[in-house]
Amino acid sequence: MKRRRLVHALGVALILGAFSACAQSGAAGTPGATATTPAGVTTITYWHTYSADSPEVGTLENEVIPAFEKANPGIKVKAVTIPYNDMHQKLITGVAGGELPDVVRADIIWVPELANLGVLEPLDTAMPDFGTFKDAVYPGPLATNAWQGHYFGLPLDTNTLVQLYNPKVLKSVGAAAPASMDDLKALADKLVKDGKYAYADNDLSGWNTLPFIWSFGGDITDPDVTKASGYVNSDATVNAITFLYQLYKQGAIPKFITQSGATQTNDGFAKGQYATILGGPWMYPILAGSHPDFAFQAAKVPAGTAGSISVVGGENIVMTSASTHKDAALAFVRYLMSEDAQTTFAKVGQFSVLKSLGDKMTSIQPYYQTYVEQMASARPRPATPAWTEIDAKMKSALQEAFLGNGDIKGALDKLAPELDALLAKYN
Amino acid sequence: MLDTQVTATRLPARRRPRRSWRSPAYAFLLPGFAVFTLVMVYPTAQALLISLQRWSVSPYQPSKFIGLANYATAMRDPIFWRSLANAGVYAGVTVPGQLILGLLCAVALKAAIPGRTAFRIMVYIPVITSWVVVSILFKYLFQTDGGLVNFLLHDVAAVVPANIDWLNSRWLAMAAICALGVWKGVGWTMLIFLAALQAVPDSLYEAAAVDGAGSAKQFWHVTLPSIRRTMVFVMIMLVIGAFNVFISVSLMTDGGPADQTQVPLTYLYRQAFDFLDFGYGSAIAFMLTAVIVAFSALQFRFQGADEESAA
Repeated sequence: MKRRRLVHALGVALILGAFSACAQSGAAGTPGATATTPAGVTTITYWHTYSADSPEVGTLENEVIPAFEKANPGIKVKAVTIPYNDMHQKLITGVAGGELPDVVRADIIWVPELANLGVLEPLDTAMPDFGTFKDAVYPGPLATNAWQGHYFGLPLDTNTLVQLYNPKVLKSVGAAAPASMDDLKALADKLVKDGKYAYADNDLSGWNTLPFIWSFGGDITDPDVTKASGYVNSDATVNAITFLYQLYKQGAIPKFITQSGATQTNDGFAKGQYATILGGPWMYPILAGSHPDFAFQAAKVPAGTAGSISVVGGENIVMTSASTHKDAALAFVRYLMSEDAQTTFAKVGQFSVLKSLGDKMTSIQPYYQTYVEQMASARPRPATPAWTEIDAKMKSALQEAFLGNGDIKGALDKLAPELDALLAKYN
Repeated sequence: MLDTQVTATRLPARRRPRRSWRSPAYAFLLPGFAVFTLVMVYPTAQALLISLQRWSVSPYQPSKFIGLANYATAMRDPIFWRSLANAGVYAGVTVPGQLILGLLCAVALKAAIPGRTAFRIMVYIPVITSWVVVSILFKYLFQTDGGLVNFLLHDVAAVVPANIDWLNSRWLAMAAICALGVWKGVGWTMLIFLAALQAVPDSLYEAAAVDGAGSAKQFWHVTLPSIRRTMVFVMIMLVIGAFNVFISVSLMTDGGPADQTQVPLTYLYRQAFDFLDFGYGSAIAFMLTAVIVAFSALQFRFQGADEESAA
């Protein structure tokens, strides 16, 4: 086993070697270094993607971890901040080299993939009290931890996208926040004359397009996530994407939507170039930092023929099977799931997964109100290890159609069998 | 050529080094060779093995030997061919661009003009700046709305009727990426050429002047032939570098839109780290290596033949 790991690590090292200049700095230290110091203190390592641009990292390092360590003498937590865009690569390298930390805060879409690689400990068997936690959290976020009959993690925080709007821009054309897709179209017609955009987004991935697809009654796969044909190319999905395409073609959506996150929408939104964007609760601390005088408001995602259905985001907390301090790691997991830790994080934009805190969320942060309402109908993205590849393929197909002849139906018809083949690998 | 002739005529006249001297020489080479084997040869061999498998990322799960299937997939993959073509275009633009501009800068900044050091530093600063920083900088410069390039072309000079959608199509995006490549690399070629120019003996120029050659003729008949070896070295290094372009593409377009600006390394990276297909990623790496080796061999051969005919 040891030798095989070395082979894996070196193989990955070679590929990484090709990118010497983009290599991560040593900031992450020795991953998975679970060491017991002479004093009998157990140190567990925790990889997370809390944002350093907002008070999240400070809250973790100065409030949550010290409180945990005080309550659990003998356990130290070494928290490693990893930028979101680097985390997937870092986890995969860690898997190949057998160098994962004890506990990871993973995006909900990565958990099936990691579970499928066999590197996560199923928490429903590792935690005798798993049932207590399972019953305490919302079922939607919990479901993103399930893979092949086991729960490999617990939801840590949850969120969804709602419509954020710039009241000044809407007022300039005498419009209210668009409640329906028809309203959004009408708003676009008015604003286009002033050279302003009714809506802006910076990507065409599932995270960005699913609120439209679902609100129009479409989908990417069947409910059991076994096939895409008949779903990703259904009339409803085609209508949803065509709606976006027509806004884009009309000049009501900035062109950078086809550029994979090239431009952040925060700035243009605050400056009044775009009337509306879709945003999560983390946008409040970020915009408060960058544009403290900007007063924006929130409403539900404009309703389509199937209602107002947004996408569930968030993170899960998972423990690796390679962890050599599972008891200490689980103690930390339990603490992160406690009302104390969940309340502390809720103050900085991390919407709690605990049902018991549901009523208190809006008193912690009034802006959670719209999110509470939107969450009731929000859905998670398809839970499959193939999601990363499905998402990339779909994005590429849509970019090609948007920049090319605009044949959305043709693009999705061509995409469907490719996605079927990807899904078939895991059925 | 001169060096080898001198050595060839001298060696027989001297006593050959005694045999016992050789083993310490090998002993001194050993550490370097050991490190090379450990960090280059061994991983390369392992990657070659990975490229022949449907390789499982997890050490706990089995990998499957599939022979050359990953290579066959690449041969049929239009995006792989497009990525190679894009790297070829990048090399075709940035290698001559850096050679010519670097040489011009070197010639201009060799002369004792006022502020020479300041100019040299200005040209060299992009070289020592992080690729990540300048890539993000260029991404902003080439932004469709509000980018400086469009502001100059459209709002100031009014040479284009509307803002150009730089990063949203294959060739415009490649143009922006090439612009960055040339701008960032000129300082390095200038530095190497400056060093080479210092080594050209003044007596050659004096002799040429006596024979009545003007500065253009001196450049053509004295300078260029004198730095020929440097030229080949620089060219080979630049071609290798061009086919390995990664950070600028990854940050400016991420291979998009719709995989139009993929280069081999961004595509390989996506296959390996996004889709966990390390077997396919390694196969692409080896095919890229083959292309680079072929190009370098061609350049060496071309250069060798050229020198013989010139001699």
